[in-house]
Amino acid sequence: MSAVPLRRQALPWIVVAAVALADLLLVLRNPADADRLLINVILALSAFATLHLRLLSLANAGFMAIGAYTSAILSVKLGLPVALSIPAAVLACGAVAMVIGLPVLKLKDVYLAIATLGFGEIVRVLIILLPGLTGGPTGANLSTGFPYAAMRATSTWVIAAALLFIAYLFWSLGPSKTGRAFRAIRENPQAAATMGINITGYKSLAFLLSALIAGLGGAFFAHSVGSLDNGDFNFTRAVNILGYAVLGGSGAWFGPILGAGLLTALPILIRDSLGASIGFLHNFAQLPNILTGASLMLVIIFMPGGLASTFALGAGAGAGARAGAGAGPDAGAENRSGAGASRAAVRGSPAGRGGDRRDVPEADEIPPPDTVSEGLADCCLLALDGVSRSFGGVEALSDVSLEIREGGVYGLIGPNGAGKTTLMNLVTGLFPPTSGRILWRGREIQAKAPHRIARLGISRTYQNIQLFSEMSTLENVTAGHHIHIGTSPFSSWMRLPRERREEASAQREATAILERLGMEELAARPAGTLSYGDQRRVEIARALALHPRLLLLDEPAAGMNETETERLGLFIGELKRHGYTILVVEHHMDLVMSVCDEIVVLNFGRKIAQGAPSVVSRDEAVLEAYLGRE
Amino acid sequence: MDLSLLADPVFLAQNLVDGISRGALYAVYALGFTLIFGVLDIINLAHAATFMWCAFAGWLAMAALGLPLPLGLAAAVVAGAAIAVLLELVAFRPLRRAGADRLSSMISSIGASLILVSVAEAVFGSQTRRFPDKVLDPRPLFIGGAGGVRISRAQILILVSSVLLMAALGFFIRRTRMGTAIRAIAASQKASRLLGIDVGGVVIVTFIIAGALAGAAGILVALLTNDIVPGMGGQIELRGLAVVILGGMGNIEGAVLGGFILGLVETFVIAYLPGGSDIKDAIAFLILFFILLVKPDGLLGRKSADRA
Repeated sequence: MSAVPLRRQALPWIVVAAVALADLLLVLRNPADADRLLINVILALSAFATLHLRLLSLANAGFMAIGAYTSAILSVKLGLPVALSIPAAVLACGAVAMVIGLPVLKLKDVYLAIATLGFGEIVRVLIILLPGLTGGPTGANLSTGFPYAAMRATSTWVIAAALLFIAYLFWSLGPSKTGRAFRAIRENPQAAATMGINITGYKSLAFLLSALIAGLGGAFFAHSVGSLDNGDFNFTRAVNILGYAVLGGSGAWFGPILGAGLLTALPILIRDSLGASIGFLHNFAQLPNILTGASLMLVIIFMPGGLASTFALGAGAGAGARAGAGAGPDAGAENRSGAGASRAAVRGSPAGRGGDRRDVPEADEIPPPDTVSEGLADCCLLALDGVSRSFGGVEALSDVSLEIREGGVYGLIGPNGAGKTTLMNLVTGLFPPTSGRILWRGREIQAKAPHRIARLGISRTYQNIQLFSEMSTLENVTAGHHIHIGTSPFSSWMRLPRERREEASAQREATAILERLGMEELAARPAGTLSYGDQRRVEIARALALHPRLLLLDEPAAGMNETETERLGLFIGELKRHGYTILVVEHHMDLVMSVCDEIVVLNFGRKIAQGAPSVVSRDEAVLEAYLGRE
Repeated sequence: MDLSLLADPVFLAQNLVDGISRGALYAVYALGFTLIFGVLDIINLAHAATFMWCAFAGWLAMAALGLPLPLGLAAAVVAGAAIAVLLELVAFRPLRRAGADRLSSMISSIGASLILVSVAEAVFGSQTRRFPDKVLDPRPLFIGGAGGVRISRAQILILVSSVLLMAALGFFIRRTRMGTAIRAIAASQKASRLLGIDVGGVVIVTFIIAGALAGAAGILVALLTNDIVPGMGGQIELRGLAVVILGGMGNIEGAVLGGFILGLVETFVIAYLPGGSDIKDAIAFLILFFILLVKPDGLLGRKSADRA
């Protein structure tokens, strides 16, 4: 191994060691700083909860204030023990988060930041406006009926235990259904939604989590410091909390811990070691803010992933290894035998499938689609009824009607700009049609959200690849299995037996699909590092993991060479034999002609022909559309 | 609400004068902010810190160096332009080169803002700085004799200069070649570059204008309140956000309209509602929240590129 990669491997650990050393120095010099350090780390994790989903919320300081004042008022004014007042304060934050979360989370990126910034300031104004309760503008201190001794009622060990508890929460969510959904939303919200992930639901969960943690941090703050002032929870506080998370990085939960550790310890250590030698910084009071500001700018510009990104490869491998360990070594063995069996299935020999299946469901073959029964067999699965869609006056699709019957393979062809991808986007709910109806087994679905449509059993691939590129290939495919994993954030957190079982079975399923596509050796690679053709195949694998009743393939052969395209054709044929219903958009005519039962031709947003390949290929209108005619 | 006050025409006129001059300040501040967003899609949260530094620049020029008022105003405006250009070069340009999203530029501006405010605190301390009386006569004038409507010289200066600034900005954006180039960049940086427009240069000009507006707002607020502290940007930061969201993000006419609405509403709430001065700080946040949740495009609509 050469020196450079070695240094790169060592760098993250040097960072961790430096932060740990700085914090150790800090606490050894002045044990009173331990509380401050731990509380800052808790606050950093509250920022992480939202920033991890690329939600820039500046509400943390506001929730911190609610937690601090609620617990202070309950314990000092009402005489509640802190063991009750702190949980009550945390719950109060949760309640407020639920009320403001839903409307606020509808706003996109910067507007969310502005709204949450406004929320934080409203909390501060309320504190000032309620002097009887909060001490008003002068704060909660002796003169306003908050005796210092009564308020100071927490120990460093309790705060440390709470911090460990929160860190454990994030650690255990990481390799679970919830953690995967969080990362999927972080990387590609649109693809996440079409995999059945409820974006609003998970964003709300993250926002709630962030509020609860910030409230806890605030309550500890109140009982550690022993007095409160609305200035403790101003915009500067919100920015400092953001600074911890940004410096540390929002990709992995340990990032913000590093960030908070560094930004808490560094200014104090610098002040103590330099003394008064930099005179113009009055007592170094501004040093923490200057360092936070500088790290916000420098990190965003030069190292957008934060300190944690130096771990990027290690962290991904770690998560994968942990997930793999959950699946167990015996699962690996069975998968290998399953791979042999499915290779036999390619050759069309059903005898090859008689192998040892035991209790591994579907590990040895492509998951069969959840079939439609109850006498609807002959009815169409999907129907478009006079569907139109215009973008700013340009009609991308006009008055298209078509029916897709179960078990058929349909080709959707047409020149560029004919509206093929628009049709797929309409069916998967990415936007609604301007007019017309889309029927799924006779029921209208055109107004449904993408994740609801995915749950009906419609999954897709994208013409422009939409993988979760920083997640491993295996994770991508497992994310496609999302709707079939029956665990909750709570069961992941508690590591209930059910969690292990479901997660192991999901991993097996995803592994089996990858093996089926001959990509098992790529399982641990970040999907973004794969070749173009492989990325397309991972997209297909991810779509299959949803067990679709209808599979939409948008130019699956784009960028593939002849051999790969041929293999893809065989694979689609095999899917058909397994009973899949498929709609494929493709420009490779050989592929379309060989695999499709029926072909629909679009031109300028209109359907110009439909029928068997042999009929369509001789159709006058089609020839005109493709070749042009005088 | 005290109904007898409503019937008092002098009181009403007084509040109109106060509200309009307050609104003019908000509008001038918000114009620079909304211009940067409209043209470059950047939420520049360091605009308030620029504003604060310009108040200090004007104070340094007039109180410390003893320069006359016109030179003090010029110092503030030049300082604003200089800080804004510095922000563009240090905080925004590298991100735009890297193709980062607008969340990144917002975070970068938050960091820059924290540095600017902290350095001001370190340099100036927390004590309030004031102008000497010779800078601007603090005695108010009365319209309609004693007991009539009171108007300070600072308010007259605010009204005159804000009208001039708005007119100049409107003319510049609509009628000049550079204004056309700025609008072209707002529509598409890529297309502008293909058409041979010096995008980097035009962006610098845009920041100079925005910074100059922040500077004008900073020195005018300082002259009105005679209360210059490093934290003074916090007072206007959220009000500015409320104003641009009320009018429509990136919409120049919207910023003017929103500024006057907020200025008048605040003034009238303080004047006519019991306890109004206590809740005046909440008004901007309530407007901000309400508009974001009910009509996020604002009264006059967001700039079209943002709606997609």
